[in-house]
Amino acid sequence: MFHIFNYKNNNYIYDTGSGSLHTCDDKTALYLAHEEGQDVDISSLTDEDIASIKADVAELEAQGLLNAEEVKTYPLKSNEVKALCIHICHDCNLRCRYCFADEGAYHAAREFMSEETAKKAIDFLIQNSGNRRVLEADFFGGEPLMCIDVIKNVVAYAREQGAKYGKKFLFTTTTNALLLDDDTIDFFNREMENVVLSIDGRKEVHDAIRKTVNGKGSFDIVLPKIKKFVQSRGDKSYYVRGTFTAKNLDFSKDVIFLAEQGFDSISMEPVVTDIDDLMIKPEHLPAIKAEYENLCDKYIEKYKKGEGFNFFHFNIDLEGGPCLSKRVSACGAGNEYFSVVPNGDIYPCHQFAGDPAFKMGNVYEGKLNADIRNKFASSCLFTRKNCQDCFAKFICSGGCSANNYHFTGDIETPYPITCEMMKKRAECAMHVLAVKKGMV
Amino acid sequence: MIRTIAKPAQKKVTGCGECRSTCQSACKTSCTVGNQSCERITRENNPEKDVK
Repeated sequence: MFHIFNYKNNNYIYDTGSGSLHTCDDKTALYLAHEEGQDVDISSLTDEDIASIKADVAELEAQGLLNAEEVKTYPLKSNEVKALCIHICHDCNLRCRYCFADEGAYHAAREFMSEETAKKAIDFLIQNSGNRRVLEADFFGGEPLMCIDVIKNVVAYAREQGAKYGKKFLFTTTTNALLLDDDTIDFFNREMENVVLSIDGRKEVHDAIRKTVNGKGSFDIVLPKIKKFVQSRGDKSYYVRGTFTAKNLDFSKDVIFLAEQGFDSISMEPVVTDIDDLMIKPEHLPAIKAEYENLCDKYIEKYKKGEGFNFFHFNIDLEGGPCLSKRVSACGAGNEYFSVVPNGDIYPCHQFAGDPAFKMGNVYEGKLNADIRNKFASSCLFTRKNCQDCFAKFICSGGCSANNYHFTGDIETPYPITCEMMKKRAECAMHVLAVKKGMV
Repeated sequence: MIRTIAKPAQKKVTGCGECRSTCQSACKTSCTVGNQSCERITRENNPEKDVK
């Protein structure tokens, strides 16, 4: 299977089985579109044209770079835990309307995780990690910086236990930056492999949603703090991460705004909500697709001017990308990746936290619900029927289980709106790759 | 005429698990494996970035 598409007057062929990307002339594109099943008229092609195209195709097929055979079985099924999302507190100092976590409370009482429970979570991770050497823990909330002292103590504990058991910990913190100060910046730069800082872009966009508990916008507080952090970060990983909603479908302006603040590692995500005036609906898709193209143009323009930045969704590594096992099993939620909430309860991931149907156990008990785990462990790209004919299946792995569940009621059934956005981003990413390689 | 822009260096089915979890990489909502690199290959190409 391959996907042929035209982007900015360039023809691209993405081969699903091999993960190769090609470019071609218009006649070849027309013929291959016909072969792909698109409704196109190929009467303009001569017999000579078709013979030449077929020869090119045959050569690529012989090299395994077109119509390559696709793997159709799940190659590896690990039951080793490698990552935890530690909900260090279910409280927040912002009241963002779109928050999937119920403004930090996760539809329950506001609660902080005790240091003892957080250390139990680390113990759980180590004890269930088998032969995994590299383990990950993400401090999440609510707002984790409301519990920075606990985080510091837990990191020290994990380092100590890691040394004892031969494990290397990679830590991440996701924060709204409201409480980010010099001491925390130093700590992050010493201990955090990655830091994700939430800011939505332009002041008016950010402040319309991301308000403090007294109802005021948080932009003027967080922007200087994030700038200071990024300036101190050196070559260590971070992302400034925004959310776009139905209210700012011109989100390319927010990405460019963030880039112009000096941030060179940016992600901008579609909102996950059912709030009517914010949620992404099918009628928004044409505008969103056009906006991704708009962003792609601006991104390339900046790249060519030497002002390039990293936009997460325009990254695509077709040469050294993830292994097949990862492409098939994706995030590993519910099997090798879990979230732990303040009372120690375990869920498949942060987006299932607080849903009793998905409670898998507690770090104090150490056992996991086998039925739920099996459900997630056996779910992979190949069990997601709607994905089998999609060109992008090895790029997205069948979508986010939580997203699928919350929108379709089934972790195996992808949400079509998410799919459409993902496919458009993949096309943009392929065009960016071609430009960066000087091929178009 | 067809010109190849990119092809996988090698087809790997390792599942070594040494890479960052997809959901930890950037956004925690719609991160996709296709936006990541194999961290093992990246480290092999940049030994100074090795996870000690």
